[in-house]
Amino acid sequence: MLSKSLIEKILMAVLRNGGDFAEVFVEKRYDNRISMKQNLVEKAISGNEFGVGIRGFLGDKAVYAYSNDVSETNLISVAERVGKTLGEIKIKDTVLNFNKVEYKENNRVFLYPNDIDKKEKILIMKKASESAKNYSQLIKQVIVNYWEYDQSVLIANTEGVWAEDRRVRTRLMIQSVAEQNGIMETGFYGPGAGMGFEFFNSLDPHEAGKRASRIADRMVKADPAPAGKMPVIISNEFGGVIFHEAVGHSLEATSVSKGASVFCDKLGQKIASDCVSAVDDGTIANAWGSSNVDDEGTPTKRNILVENGILKGYMVDKLGARKMKTEVTGSSRRMNYKYAPTSRMTNTFILPGKSYPEEIISNTEYGIFAKSMGGGSVQPATGEFNFAINEGYLIENGKITKPVRGATLIGRGNEIITKIDMVGNDIGRGQGMCGSVSGSIPADVGQPTIRVSEILVGGKNK
Amino acid sequence: MTYENFKNELFDISKKLGLDACEINYEGEKEFNLSLANGELDSYKDAESFKVKVVVLKNGKSGAAFTEILENPEKIINEAVENMEIVESEEIVNLHDGSGEYLNAELYKGNFEKEDVSDKLKFIKNIYDAAKSDSRIKMVPNIVYQNFVSDIRIANTYGLDKKSKSDGGFCYSMTVAEDVSPRSGFYYEVGKSPENLTLAIGEKAKEDAIAKIGSKSVKSGKYNIIINNMAFSDILSLLNSMISAENVQKEISPLKGKIDQKIGSDILTVKDIAIYPGSLTNRTFDREGFPTSDKTIIENGVLKTFLYDIKAALKENKKSTGNSTQGGIAPVNMVIEPGKLSFEELVKELGNGIIITEVEGMHSGANPVSGEFSLGAKGLLVENGEITKGVEQITLSDNFIVMLSKIKAIGNDTLLSYSNIITPSVIIENVDIAGNE
Repeated sequence: MLSKSLIEKILMAVLRNGGDFAEVFVEKRYDNRISMKQNLVEKAISGNEFGVGIRGFLGDKAVYAYSNDVSETNLISVAERVGKTLGEIKIKDTVLNFNKVEYKENNRVFLYPNDIDKKEKILIMKKASESAKNYSQLIKQVIVNYWEYDQSVLIANTEGVWAEDRRVRTRLMIQSVAEQNGIMETGFYGPGAGMGFEFFNSLDPHEAGKRASRIADRMVKADPAPAGKMPVIISNEFGGVIFHEAVGHSLEATSVSKGASVFCDKLGQKIASDCVSAVDDGTIANAWGSSNVDDEGTPTKRNILVENGILKGYMVDKLGARKMKTEVTGSSRRMNYKYAPTSRMTNTFILPGKSYPEEIISNTEYGIFAKSMGGGSVQPATGEFNFAINEGYLIENGKITKPVRGATLIGRGNEIITKIDMVGNDIGRGQGMCGSVSGSIPADVGQPTIRVSEILVGGKNK
Repeated sequence: MTYENFKNELFDISKKLGLDACEINYEGEKEFNLSLANGELDSYKDAESFKVKVVVLKNGKSGAAFTEILENPEKIINEAVENMEIVESEEIVNLHDGSGEYLNAELYKGNFEKEDVSDKLKFIKNIYDAAKSDSRIKMVPNIVYQNFVSDIRIANTYGLDKKSKSDGGFCYSMTVAEDVSPRSGFYYEVGKSPENLTLAIGEKAKEDAIAKIGSKSVKSGKYNIIINNMAFSDILSLLNSMISAENVQKEISPLKGKIDQKIGSDILTVKDIAIYPGSLTNRTFDREGFPTSDKTIIENGVLKTFLYDIKAALKENKKSTGNSTQGGIAPVNMVIEPGKLSFEELVKELGNGIIITEVEGMHSGANPVSGEFSLGAKGLLVENGEITKGVEQITLSDNFIVMLSKIKAIGNDTLLSYSNIITPSVIIENVDIAGNE
C-alpha cells in the first residue's frame, strides 16, 4: 500500500497547515462481474481500483480530499490543501506513535477471487440460471449476475491508529421474468456473504434460482393488492428492511448529530412496542455487512439499538462523536476512497420473539402477508419511509388465500415501530445494498416474522 | 506512464496478440463539494481521480478490464482477453471507427473552477438565510453545493480518437418546518456556470416546507392529479430502460413490438436532444465514441424508435443511435415537449385533485419490466382551482404505460434536472391514490 514514512508525512502535512486531526485511508480493490442471459455468458468485466483519501478535522468541521495519483509530491500537496482549508493551526508539533489495531480475524476467507478460475464461477451461474428457467412454463427470461470483490484497506490517523483489513465479498443475483397474457412480472433473489468462493459450500444455486422464479411465477398470476390501512405480516430475512428504513437510518449520527432525525434526544426513552429489540452487529463472522474494523480503523461491535422498546444507542462515527459529544461505535463506513466515511449500518436486525410464524398468520383476520420485500427509502428528518412488497399474499380469516402484487408500504418510522405487535421466533437475514451519503455499501438486514397492526398499503382501489 | 504512452503500448500489444481491435476509454473526474448543516460548514471535498477501461475485440466478441494505475498495459490487456474468452453469447459486437458527423459544442466553460471558494461559501450562506427567513422553518439541516469537471477520451485501433471535457454544478437545500409532525422541503437548481444557481434554491425549499404545514392524508380512491416537473422527472426514469433496444431484445420492456403504435396521449411528444441548453448530461459522442444526435422517441403519443448502442443495432441490422451510456442504453437528454399552460393555469385546469410534488421509492416500488408502480408520495390538495392544503402519507399507483395515455395537459414550466430527464408538469386523470383518511 503506502510506506509508513509517507503516511507520516501526509498526516503531518495536514496538521502543519491546519486542523486538529488527520486521517489517511488507502484502498486497493479487485472487482469482478460476470453477467449471463438465457444461460450464456454475455459480458465480463474486471479490474483494479487504487486510491487514497485524506481527511482533516478542526473541531466539528471536516475537509476531505481523494486522489489516485499516489506520487509522494501529489499526496503531500493534497494533504497541505486539506490543512489550509481547515485554516486554524491547533497542533504545532507532534510525534506520531502508531499503535497497530489488533483484532481476532473474524471473517476468514478460504478461496479468494483470484484463486478460482472464472469458469468455476460460470458453472455456479449456470446452475442458478437453469433451475430458474425450468421452474415453470411462464418463465420467459433469466438474467444471472455474479459479483465479487477483494478490498484491502489501511487506515492511519494522528491519534496513532494504524489499522489494516481485507474484506472479500461474493454475491449471486438472479432476476427472473414471467409472462402471462401479455403481463410481465419479475422475481429477484440476491444472496451474498463476506466470503470467497466457499460461499457456495453453503448456498445452493439451484435453490437460489428457484426462489427468484417462484416470485415471478406467483406474481404474474396475482391480482393487484388492495389499498388502504390494514395489518401486514412481514416475513423474516430481507423483511428486516422495514427496521433498516423505518428506524435504522434515523439512528445514524449522520442525521442525529444535525438534529435531523425523529429519534433525536430520545435515548433511554420508549420508542417502540415492548416486543421490539434490535441490534446492529458488524462482528457476525463472514456476514455481508461485516468487517474486522470500520473505515476509520475502529474495531466493529455489536451495538444494541433498541431493547424491549427502549432506545439504547445510535450508530456513531468520529465526526458524529465530536458533534454529539459521545463515543464511536465502530459503524463508520464508505463505498470506496472517493467518499468520506460516515455512520452507517452493518448487519441490522430485530431480535427473535416467542411466536411461531403460523400463529401470527392464524391470529390475523384480514391483511397482507409480505413474503419477499424489495428495497425502500426514508427521510430521517420526518421519519417518512416507503418500501415495496415483491411477493405478497392476501390473508383472510387467518389463512393465506391468494397472491397479490404491486403493493408499497408507507408510514412514519417513529409511529410504525410502536405498532409491531407480534414478533416471531424464526430469525433470518438477507442481503442488500444500502445507499446514503458515503455511497452504496453492502448491508445485511434481518428479522423474524413480525406483524404490524396497522400500516398503509398502497395498492389499487376496487 | 503517461496516458499517451499507455495507449500506444496497449495498441502495440493488441496487434502482437492478433486481436481484431483494442479500445481505451479514459474517464477523469474532478469533484468539488461544499455543504452546510444548520448554517455551519459541515463538509468540504476537493478531489480528482481517473479510471481507464480497456476493451478488446476478436471475431465479434469483446471483453473488458479496468485499472486506476497506468502501469503494465500487458496485464490489463490479458485480463480483458480472459474476460472475452469466457463470453458464450453468439451476439456480435463491434467498435466504432470514428466515422459520422459529430456535433460541435463547447461543453466546458471553466466558470465553476474559476469561482473562489469564499464566493461559493458566501453564496450558500445566503441560501441558508433565504431558507431560514421564516419563523415556521425549524431548521435547514442540509445545503449542498457541488461542481464537477469530466474529462473523457476514447480511442481505438480502428481510428476512433475523441476527447471531450465538460463541467457543471448544482446546489440543493433541505428545510424542515415545525408542525405536529416535522414537514420537509426541498429544492435544487443545476447549471453550467455559478450564475445559473440562484437564491430561489433557498426560497423555494422554504416555501415547499411551509406549504406542507397542516398536511393530511386523503381518502383512498381515483383522483385527477398534477405531477409537478420535479416529481415527473423522477417517474419518467422508467422510460429510460423501456426504450433501450437492448432491453426490448431481452424481452424485459413492456414496449416490445409497439413501434408505430399509440402508447401515449395525443399531446405527448418525447425527444432525445444531444445538446440541450444548460443540461449537465450533454454529449457530442456516446460511451462507444459514436456521434450523438437528436431524435423523436414518441410523437403525438406514437412510439417512433427505440435507442441503440452498437451491439443492439447489429442485432437488427441497424446503426447505433449514439445512446450508449455507462449503465446501458439511455437518451442523452430525454425532453418532454412543453405545452402552453403555466403551472398556475394547470392548477385552474385541474379544478379538484392533488398536486404530487414528491415521490419516494422509484428504485423499489416501480417495475420497469411490467410498468407497474406504487410509490410513496406527498403534495398539495387543489379544490375549485385553488391550492388549499398539504397532502401527506399517500401512495400513487398505476401502470406507467397506461398513465402515459391519461396525460390530459402539459405545462410550460420545463425544469432542468440533475438527471437526463427534462420535463414540465403534467395533468393525469384517474390515478389510484391510497390514503389514511
